[in-house]
Amino acid sequence: MARMKFLCDSERCIECNGCVTACKNEHEVPWGVNRRRVVTLEDGVPGERSISVACMHCTDAPCAAVCPVDCFYTTDDGIVLHDKDLCIGCGYCFYACPFGAPQYPQKEAFGVRGKMDKCTFCAGGPQGKDNSDEEQQKYGKNRIAEGKLPLCAEMCATKALLAGDGDMVADIYRERVTKRSTRPQSWGWLTAYQEDV
Amino acid sequence: MKLVKKQTQEPGNSTAATGSGLLGRTVDRRTFLRGTGLAAGGAAVATTLSMRMMKRADAATGEASGDVVTKRSVCTHCSVGCGVIAEVQNGVWTGQEPDFDSPFNMGAHCAKGAAVREHGHGDKRLKYPMKLVGGKWQRVSWDDAINEIGDKLLEIREQHSPDSVYWLGSAKFSNEQAYLFRKFAAMWGTNNCDHQARICHSTTVAGVANTWGYGAMTNSYNDMHLSKAMFFIGSNAAEAHPVAMQHVMRGKENGGKLIVVDPRFTRTAAHADQYLRIRSGTDVPLIWGLLWHIFQNGWEDKQFIAQRVFGMEDIRAEVAKWTPEVVQDVTGVPPDEVKRAAQTMAENKPGTIVWCMGGTQHTIGNNNTRAYCVLQLALGNVGVAGGGANIFRGHDNVQGATDFGVLADSLPGYYGLAAGAWKHWCSVWDLDYEWVKSRFDQASYEEGKDQTPAMELRGITVSRWIDGVLEPAENMAQKAPIKAMFMWGHAPNSQTRGFEMKKAMGLLDLLVIVDPYPTHSAVLHDRQDGVYLLPAATQFETYGSVTASNRSIQWREKIIEPLFESQPDHVIMYRFAKKLGFAEQLTKHIQVNGEEPLIEDIVREYNRGMWTIGYTGQSPERLKLHLENKHTFNTTTLKAEGGPCDGEYYGLPWPCWGTPQMKHPGSPNLYDTSQTVAEGGMPFRANFGVEYQGKTLLSEGSWSKGSEIEDGYPEFTADVLKQLGWWGDLTAEEQAAAEGKNWKTDLSGGIQRVAIKHGCAPYGNGKARCIVWNFPDPVPIHREPLYTSRHDLVEKYPTYEDRKRFWRLPTRYMSIQAKDYSKDYPLIHTSGRLVEYEGGGEETRSNKWLAELQQDMFAEINPADANDLGVKDGQWIWLEGPEGGKIKVKAMITRRVAKGVVFTPYHFGGWFDGQDLKDKYPEGTAPWVRGEPANNAFTYGYDSVTAMQETKASLCKITPA
Amino acid sequence: MTRIARRAAALLVLAALVTGCGVTVYEPGVYKGEKDPLLAMHAKPEHKAQLQERFTKGQAER
Repeated sequence: MARMKFLCDSERCIECNGCVTACKNEHEVPWGVNRRRVVTLEDGVPGERSISVACMHCTDAPCAAVCPVDCFYTTDDGIVLHDKDLCIGCGYCFYACPFGAPQYPQKEAFGVRGKMDKCTFCAGGPQGKDNSDEEQQKYGKNRIAEGKLPLCAEMCATKALLAGDGDMVADIYRERVTKRSTRPQSWGWLTAYQEDV
Repeated sequence: MKLVKKQTQEPGNSTAATGSGLLGRTVDRRTFLRGTGLAAGGAAVATTLSMRMMKRADAATGEASGDVVTKRSVCTHCSVGCGVIAEVQNGVWTGQEPDFDSPFNMGAHCAKGAAVREHGHGDKRLKYPMKLVGGKWQRVSWDDAINEIGDKLLEIREQHSPDSVYWLGSAKFSNEQAYLFRKFAAMWGTNNCDHQARICHSTTVAGVANTWGYGAMTNSYNDMHLSKAMFFIGSNAAEAHPVAMQHVMRGKENGGKLIVVDPRFTRTAAHADQYLRIRSGTDVPLIWGLLWHIFQNGWEDKQFIAQRVFGMEDIRAEVAKWTPEVVQDVTGVPPDEVKRAAQTMAENKPGTIVWCMGGTQHTIGNNNTRAYCVLQLALGNVGVAGGGANIFRGHDNVQGATDFGVLADSLPGYYGLAAGAWKHWCSVWDLDYEWVKSRFDQASYEEGKDQTPAMELRGITVSRWIDGVLEPAENMAQKAPIKAMFMWGHAPNSQTRGFEMKKAMGLLDLLVIVDPYPTHSAVLHDRQDGVYLLPAATQFETYGSVTASNRSIQWREKIIEPLFESQPDHVIMYRFAKKLGFAEQLTKHIQVNGEEPLIEDIVREYNRGMWTIGYTGQSPERLKLHLENKHTFNTTTLKAEGGPCDGEYYGLPWPCWGTPQMKHPGSPNLYDTSQTVAEGGMPFRANFGVEYQGKTLLSEGSWSKGSEIEDGYPEFTADVLKQLGWWGDLTAEEQAAAEGKNWKTDLSGGIQRVAIKHGCAPYGNGKARCIVWNFPDPVPIHREPLYTSRHDLVEKYPTYEDRKRFWRLPTRYMSIQAKDYSKDYPLIHTSGRLVEYEGGGEETRSNKWLAELQQDMFAEINPADANDLGVKDGQWIWLEGPEGGKIKVKAMITRRVAKGVVFTPYHFGGWFDGQDLKDKYPEGTAPWVRGEPANNAFTYGYDSVTAMQETKASLCKITPA
Repeated sequence: MTRIARRAAALLVLAALVTGCGVTVYEPGVYKGEKDPLLAMHAKPEHKAQLQERFTKGQAER
């Protein structure tokens, strides 16, 4: 049983932002907080690539490592969650995270940080029973407790974003790569083969 | 140092400094959601977001709780038709789940589809009827609104004519509402009835139908899994039809090659194997340039052409002029790229072609669409799985609204407006033809060479409605100008010439907006009175059927009751019909519950009348069965493999011939002769006669599998059946109804049934024609746009002569193109879509989850042009068109557009001439994001057949603001 | 020692016995928050299997 992972197949990602609004919808994420966003490289020119990024639920999570109040915990298959009640909003996890996953809603006009908020892999947080009002209010819905997977991946327009058992995700990606076989447009082809298209 | 665990705070405790909730501060509960706090956030929006309680949610009872009920619907945005699953508790829409079972999207959504639950919040919805009094919005009751409006309409009818009221309908109607609306306009007595299809794919429908029979998508999105080449021209599916890209990607992964042709390097082009950048408006030269290589190398499908195509020799003559050098000069595409694309299409079959507004929105739109068809005919790519002309329609039900004739030139089913068409529908409606006739202006008007009675004369198009107001009466082919305008589910900022539109709106006696949102129509004008806003419910608050682009019909369940005081469109129609005095006729055979016409009865009524395109077999029961069994349909072929719908195609794509009892499975891929007609195949339609200039128009040596006539044959009439000796196959009842009729007018469906029984298509077996002799340009040719950057080419490729009357109005062509504007307006101006927004945009810009993603109206400018103009990224600029329309937008510097080309998205509204019109909206309804409408800067120019507007090729100049 | 001091010492020892012999020691890296009921449910193999089925249903190519 592998760890839970996200994978965004950038060959298929079309920057539609379906994953972004699915997350907003499911968890009523307020304006200004971006648990998930789509990053586009080389926008507008050949070689343009998009990839959807949120918390990567790292195995050796730097956010957890640096947190002064130890508000992070991990499920046995790698979902990284945190307790907002403990969080002091210091911002260290934001420094540590390579993906910019931690978000801090502005409390006031001068940008004083509130509690850290981030993608929960749709697994909620510690407070209350699963999908209790309290849990939902603080972290959003808990789909994992209902036997469902993150909504961003379940609603991805082109099935570029995958979320689930890492082995199964890898299987799908491997199959696609095999099917795609040789195409100069594949990401990395030019780097690898230095060929003119 | 000792760290002490903090006490957990009580949720909602307003005195706690460190509180709870996503923001880390106390939040009031939105009681109708399952306890999830909605907190105002973000400095930009903090002051504008308010935390109102939803009245509907019964705040008194606390949070929505109780059992979760699941409802299934279809997204109301684009024509892909993604399944939506809604979770409802206590009548409140609390959750949205992916519809994995739907073969169309398999759970997927784009940003808009993933955000539809926001319709159940309705922050910015129009809540109750409103009336403009002394420049201020006042609330009125439905009864008062309908009475006042009705009185005014009857007054206008009396003083002027029924044609002075324009009933602009919607691509967002359900099928039943669209059908009822067209019937409504007929009962009122005018053909001034149209909808978004006019400005979207009208040139497609006209061009394609006149080429081979029907003007709709021939295959399906799913069918593209089988395409080995996919040619996208003027289509940015990654933003306009994102979930369709799932199917495109699968096709790509199955080895399909993707070619994208566009003036912009779009997000779709980013996934292409080959990208061709063309000058806006030069589609025909490019296609002929491809065909030049195809003919040159003998890559055409000679057998297909000989058997099933008419007039290819005339095309060859025209194509011979388009040598690689000429093509490069006119389109800007180098010869080797054109050849490579042609070779890709020739060597990778079956190939499909996809086009959208980039191809349709031109003065020669009908030439473009026909050229695309001719390319596919030459390659033999039509009537095969993986091939075809896969036209991606726009709005969720623009296909249905088109099919049901919410059009100025036809009754439902493309029957047209001739006396025969009216008699057919009068017999379906069980109404006296003479009575219906009496409802119209009794005079006749001149258009072209004929004098036509108003009832049979096609009306004014939505693209020209402002001219219907502004033009003096003596210039129009109707008694008086338009005095009252209904904008029913239709935005104004999707039409061009916004500055003139403001004037036109000011001149009306009455402006009525029926919409879930106020729309830009509410604020564009400076009127003090005579404007009404009537809140319509969305399709999520009612039920009915919707037709996706691939002609499949899906059934929608009602998710929630209409919010606030909104009402479903068909209820509003009935209420008006009552006031205006024809409710009885409108719903003669339709049960009315309270004031709601029964949707299922409407389906049964159109099942009895829509023989031309086969909307006759899709009964409510069959459609609901498909809804229950979505998961049994194969996602590539759309065929059910086992289960209760075994053998049928998902959504019974039209034509679904005959009566529901005949149980035709629907037709997944049009013109496919490898399938029997009974199993969903058919040949090309014999729609244009039996012969032309001595040559046969019937197919030679090609017929459907299982056809008893192994040859071409004309369309089926009672007489043809008798000649064939098949008349006896009809039952006595069928014979009684079919006597003297044809396959389109036989209300028993017997002619269709018997023809199909013998393996024949009811509409004949003809050749597709490359030349349309009844069009201004029989062979599609190139003509420069009215406002062109290459005025030197106008001499060789001029536009049309001005017309005295065209769709009732004088229409200019040459008198505009004669002047060279390219010195003062040196940049090509083109428009398009963004994935986050849709159409006129008020609905999506009122959805905070979408609005956050695209907060400013902008224009894309190439870095070289920006440097020449002294404009930096993010800077405010004025963009002005040659007719004086100007907009103030932010500059987005990008290489997406070539030097000399500027792109604007058309979804913005709520601004005019540099001013934010926020305060003119009724309180609490101004969308989160507002901006200048791109179409304010777009210009005059209308397609020579359908009056489609030319929004893809105009000119502009830019100055720093 | 004075009698008061002896009594104070006795009280101290009593206090220590009552509260348990220990200072609050900070253990770095150990989660200090509330216990999440999801963890217990999620650790079960049936739950994992349910999620795997869900993945196949929704994200594998159909």
